[in-house]
Amino acid sequence: MEIRGVAIEDTFAEAFTMRVARLVITARSPRWVREAALKLTGFATSVIGCKCEAGIERELGEDETPDGRPGVSVLFFTMGSDDLPKRLVERLGQTVLTCPTTACFDGLPDSPDRMTVGRSLRVFGDGFQASKVLGGRRYWRVPVMEGEFLVEESFGRQKGVGGGNFLILAESADAALAAAEAAVDAMAGMDGVILPFPGGVVRSGSKVGSKRYKGMIATTNDAFAPTLRAVTASALPEGVNSVLEIVLDGVDFDAISRAMRVGIDAACVGGVRAITAGNYGGKLGPHHFHLRRIMGDEGAGGAGSPPRPQSATAAAGAPHRSDAGSGGAPPATPPAGPTGAAGSR
Amino acid sequence: MSDAVVLTLRGPLDHDVDAACVAPDRFAALGAREIAELPVWAGRTRARLGDFFAVEGERASRVRVRGDVARVHALGRAMRAGELDVEGSAGDGTGAGMEGGTLVVHGDVGHDAGAAMAGGVLCVNGRAGDNLAGARAGESRGMTGGEIVVRGAAGRDAGALVRRGLVVVGGAAGAGAGRAMIAGTLIVFGTLGAGAAAWSKRGTLVAMCGVSVPPTFRYACTYRPPHLALTLTYLRRHYALAVEDDHVTGEYRRYSGDLAELGRGEILEWIES
Repeated sequence: MEIRGVAIEDTFAEAFTMRVARLVITARSPRWVREAALKLTGFATSVIGCKCEAGIERELGEDETPDGRPGVSVLFFTMGSDDLPKRLVERLGQTVLTCPTTACFDGLPDSPDRMTVGRSLRVFGDGFQASKVLGGRRYWRVPVMEGEFLVEESFGRQKGVGGGNFLILAESADAALAAAEAAVDAMAGMDGVILPFPGGVVRSGSKVGSKRYKGMIATTNDAFAPTLRAVTASALPEGVNSVLEIVLDGVDFDAISRAMRVGIDAACVGGVRAITAGNYGGKLGPHHFHLRRIMGDEGAGGAGSPPRPQSATAAAGAPHRSDAGSGGAPPATPPAGPTGAAGSR
Repeated sequence: MSDAVVLTLRGPLDHDVDAACVAPDRFAALGAREIAELPVWAGRTRARLGDFFAVEGERASRVRVRGDVARVHALGRAMRAGELDVEGSAGDGTGAGMEGGTLVVHGDVGHDAGAAMAGGVLCVNGRAGDNLAGARAGESRGMTGGEIVVRGAAGRDAGALVRRGLVVVGGAAGAGAGRAMIAGTLIVFGTLGAGAAAWSKRGTLVAMCGVSVPPTFRYACTYRPPHLALTLTYLRRHYALAVEDDHVTGEYRRYSGDLAELGRGEILEWIES
């Protein structure tokens, strides 16, 4: 299969079930919305080293936010159900509560699974806090030096999917970057999806474990590192000199499928040789995004479908997990060790 | 089963009728004949609902009341679910003790509308009498939940003794608005009479057209209350209330009180810019 001369490999991205919350952050002006959202989602690229993955889903107009102010929706992912409220309380307390003029609302109000995040944050008010109930939802008014911080009492939690991905195999670093930028731009603002890495792009895909260091749960994906082509079992086709990866977390399988379709199509530009994806051979993650099915038939290639032939990486004997799900380790593996230096997650 | 039950007043009333039986959740399980047989009080006389209203439809949780029923009291009392739509004005005690559902009155309502209401929504397109959302006689707590939106003016003691919930008055409110509030929110877009928020423990009184602040309230600051932007935006969207942008984005003087009571209440007075 080719799109504008770019080969779409017959492989799939393997992703994991995560827990997700959607937050709506508002503020007096877009400037302060952005400041709060960037701090909130900062250092949240991978659960391996950051304990959570987060990103801005999209900007919200004044007619879309509960209080009629500018806002953004943020998606927030953790592997475990219990981790999510802990991370939210930590991050909201340090980044949104502290940011001038902000307020924070639940973006999954229909979810029956609730986390009492605002209820935990309210105690910063030291007994001076007060609540208001509106439309059956409770909000806490926490007095602060600037005035008041308003936060919803509970936030919805639901199952999501973490680790959708595709890799752009290009003739040069410039071509890979241009394609990645085009893909990210095309996917920007799509409902239900975030790209948790810097600018939505990963340059340091990782494989599980290490060939040399016992303590490392993820190390560089040498099969896709062009500088190692001559000294390792490379998975790179001839003429490929740079690889960049796009990682996607989404509220459900379909959201990621839709975004991957748009992103891959946009990435098929001059200088790109192929598009592939990262997986564990289909043994670890229940969600498989088959590239050719996604590009041929939107929404197809659902979870639980039998694994297709192994990706180039696995076939080359170097099972890689460039970043999906738990970042190179099975989701049950707790984050440990110095992971940030090598692994993308 | 019908789409709706329609009660049409047979003729003008020369006496009061207590029709507490009119509640959509009750009608949902009754046939037309059973609805017509429901008991009402006509003055001091027992009567049947069918004596005053023609009943069309059955077993529906949507109820429409047609005709001038300003002398019909207690419509929707203690209703728990469904929709009750009154095309004209309604009498006293409309929606009193409501626990759920939506009650819309296109005209005015009498006294004690939404008194001791615990849930649901009461919308009045006209005016309301005294003791809107207040306590029933002899009781210490008024409304404990739900939302009341009156587009016109309200009489004395609107929101008095409210424990929880939202009360909105689009016009003026008489004396004693928000008196002895225990908690909850009262928003008045028109002028306020004397004694507003006096003796309140907690709760919020929002005054859009000025207020005579009781001496037992103390000025705190001038700011933009974030919960008010949320509430006013909510009123615009859910009730199509014509809230001005200046009210949503403007600044308010905050007074804390009543310091002769618990002192955790507040008056928020909008400042015209």
